[in-house]
Amino acid sequence: MTVLLDLTEVAVASADAIVHPTSLTLTAGRPLTILGETGSGKSLLAQAVMGTLPAGLRAEGGIRLLGQDVGSLSPRQRRARWGRQISLLPQEPWLALDPTMKAAAQVAETYRHVAGSPPAEAAANARRDLRQLGLEGAEERLPGQLSGGMAQRVAFAAARARGARVVIADEPTSALDDDRRDEVVALLKREVDDGGGLLTITHDVAVARALGGDVIVFRDGRVEESGPAARVLTAPANPYARRLLAAEPAAWPALPPRRTGGGGPVLRAEGLRKQRGGRVLFEDLSVTAEAGEVVGVCGPSGCGKSTLGDICLGLLAADGGTVWRDPAAARVRWQKLYQDPPAAFPPHVTLRQALTDVVRLHRRDWSEVETLMARLRLVPALLDRHPRSVSGGELQRLAILRVLLVDPVFLFADEPTSRLDLMTQKETMDLLVGLARDRGCAVLLVSHDRALVDKVCDRTVRLDH
Amino acid sequence: MTTPATLTLRGLGARLRPGAGGGPVLSGRRLVGAGLLALLAVFAWGAPLISDADPARQDLLRTLVPPSLEAPLGTDHLGRSLLARLAAAVRLSLGLALMGVLTAAVPGVLLGILAGWRGGWVDRLLVVLSDAFLALPGLLLVLLMVAIAPGSFWALYVGIALVLWIEYFRLVRATTRTLVTSPQIEASRLLGFGPLYIVRRHLWPELAPMVLTLGAFGGATAIMAIAALGFVSVGLRPPTAELGLMMTELLPYHYEAPWALLQPIAVVFLLVLGLILLAGKDPR
Repeated sequence: MTVLLDLTEVAVASADAIVHPTSLTLTAGRPLTILGETGSGKSLLAQAVMGTLPAGLRAEGGIRLLGQDVGSLSPRQRRARWGRQISLLPQEPWLALDPTMKAAAQVAETYRHVAGSPPAEAAANARRDLRQLGLEGAEERLPGQLSGGMAQRVAFAAARARGARVVIADEPTSALDDDRRDEVVALLKREVDDGGGLLTITHDVAVARALGGDVIVFRDGRVEESGPAARVLTAPANPYARRLLAAEPAAWPALPPRRTGGGGPVLRAEGLRKQRGGRVLFEDLSVTAEAGEVVGVCGPSGCGKSTLGDICLGLLAADGGTVWRDPAAARVRWQKLYQDPPAAFPPHVTLRQALTDVVRLHRRDWSEVETLMARLRLVPALLDRHPRSVSGGELQRLAILRVLLVDPVFLFADEPTSRLDLMTQKETMDLLVGLARDRGCAVLLVSHDRALVDKVCDRTVRLDH
Repeated sequence: MTTPATLTLRGLGARLRPGAGGGPVLSGRRLVGAGLLALLAVFAWGAPLISDADPARQDLLRTLVPPSLEAPLGTDHLGRSLLARLAAAVRLSLGLALMGVLTAAVPGVLLGILAGWRGGWVDRLLVVLSDAFLALPGLLLVLLMVAIAPGSFWALYVGIALVLWIEYFRLVRATTRTLVTSPQIEASRLLGFGPLYIVRRHLWPELAPMVLTLGAFGGATAIMAIAALGFVSVGLRPPTAELGLMMTELLPYHYEAPWALLQPIAVVFLLVLGLILLAGKDPR
């Protein structure tokens, strides 16, 4: 087996993110996946390998690329290897592509300027690559006209055009839904089958499992466990790795069932129809939610999941159909949880102020906040911070706390955990479902994650294109 | 009740308090600018307290006297105390600039919020209106007002304020439009908060730094405009102590008393410098 990339005791140190000395070996034809949560330092490791560490950070230890020590080279010499020996598949393909340049031209650029082919040959090669990736017909489209999966494939073609033998994929699937994720994984696997080297950085256990090969479980800049995927992902020895795997929605234990006979329906939407940009999102769609029930809505991105939730809440009007909301419940008891928790709080005041405002407006008692904080395992010190300086998981729990202050009968949770780590996701979901059950609040859970919806929802609405 | 004016001042107060919302807003050069303006204000309103000189009282036996203990900044060609005249001129300029900025900023901000928030025909109407106002030539308008009511402080003031509200309107409208559909405001509305709360907690903290910057620039422009109009004798009339007018009056004596001519020039420079520094480097 050819060793393509070899790290010995590579360390990165900075004020807030640290990678402890880590060694790994990447061989041709065997994928290596670094699995870890946000802030575990896995991306820093990838940047150390590429030579793209943020200013002020330095990597120590030995980095050998194709048998050559690159760790001690100047930035300029390392840049010369980009695209030729090592290439990076970026996290957000839309951000990595030039938004004003057509797909084929973006790929041709690599042939033209990195490989130095004449223009006609570069264009022909680009078209051939795109065809091979199943992008026939998309050559003349701009990145904005491509789906996430297609954009990722164009970015892949551009990164790979000069035939770099080592590909680093940094969270290649984080912006994609399940189906698109499988496509990208298949694409990456083909790379390995052709004898290339693939180092993938991901927080998604499903990606690690689908890629196979070797897996490194990373936490706080340290290797917790490493070995063949078949073993690490089925029978991990390390306690952290075990917890991480147990947090995968598919591995969750079934949630407590709903107490029957408790509540009647709070929402009944029938025959809904909505159009956007000349395209029909859904037609003749019916949703019912009863008190204490968790109703899931799932489907690929852009299918109108969030639109459906906004229609149920009354934030948007449907083009057709009727929405009945329990008239006995005041308007303020219809609430929403947002995908990006910091975006849902007033950014310029402390969380204590934001919650005080709600308590005062609805004449509640501050002691309720304190009781709920204990219940949601939130420490009081968080209250004196601004939303942007609190972690996503804690802030989402504070958002749950905030809506509980108005005693909701219906809660539209719009991808409430998609920006959270696996373990935080599980914790948040447990709390959300527990509260729905206890308080008899109907929850409409919108998610792109089928496994998650299957696990926590009493009933599911599937939307397709 | 929260009137627009108290809202403005309260918001400004919150911005000036260090640490509110992530760091002091008045830092570095802005602090220097505010300090400079404060010094000028202390001079303008403090000078009458230490010297009883009347800015209009002439003493033809003591003209163009260089600065001394008796006349701290000297006297002009009619023997009037330059200290008293400069102080009066700064009071006039600062007061006019402040009023001009407030009358431009208050309607501009309120209409901007209204247009950005309500959208629809309200927005379209206000945008057309503001475009129409923009098409009016500002300086010509001022000259017209001055022609209608020569030498009047109010004509000058209305003329300067009339076209200035548009930049506030445009900026505030654009920011409001994007914020109104944001999750933070949607969440607050779902929680039952009214428009006043949303303006106070969500909109104003975003708008305040921009409005402060625009206001400071606007103040500087107003001071320059008043001085320029005074200098070409279409602004305020003698014997009013006005910086531009003082320059015109002292210009013929530049050879005998350069120190006298330099005084109003230096004061205009310091006033405008203070406001430009207050405007800050980055309007965020």
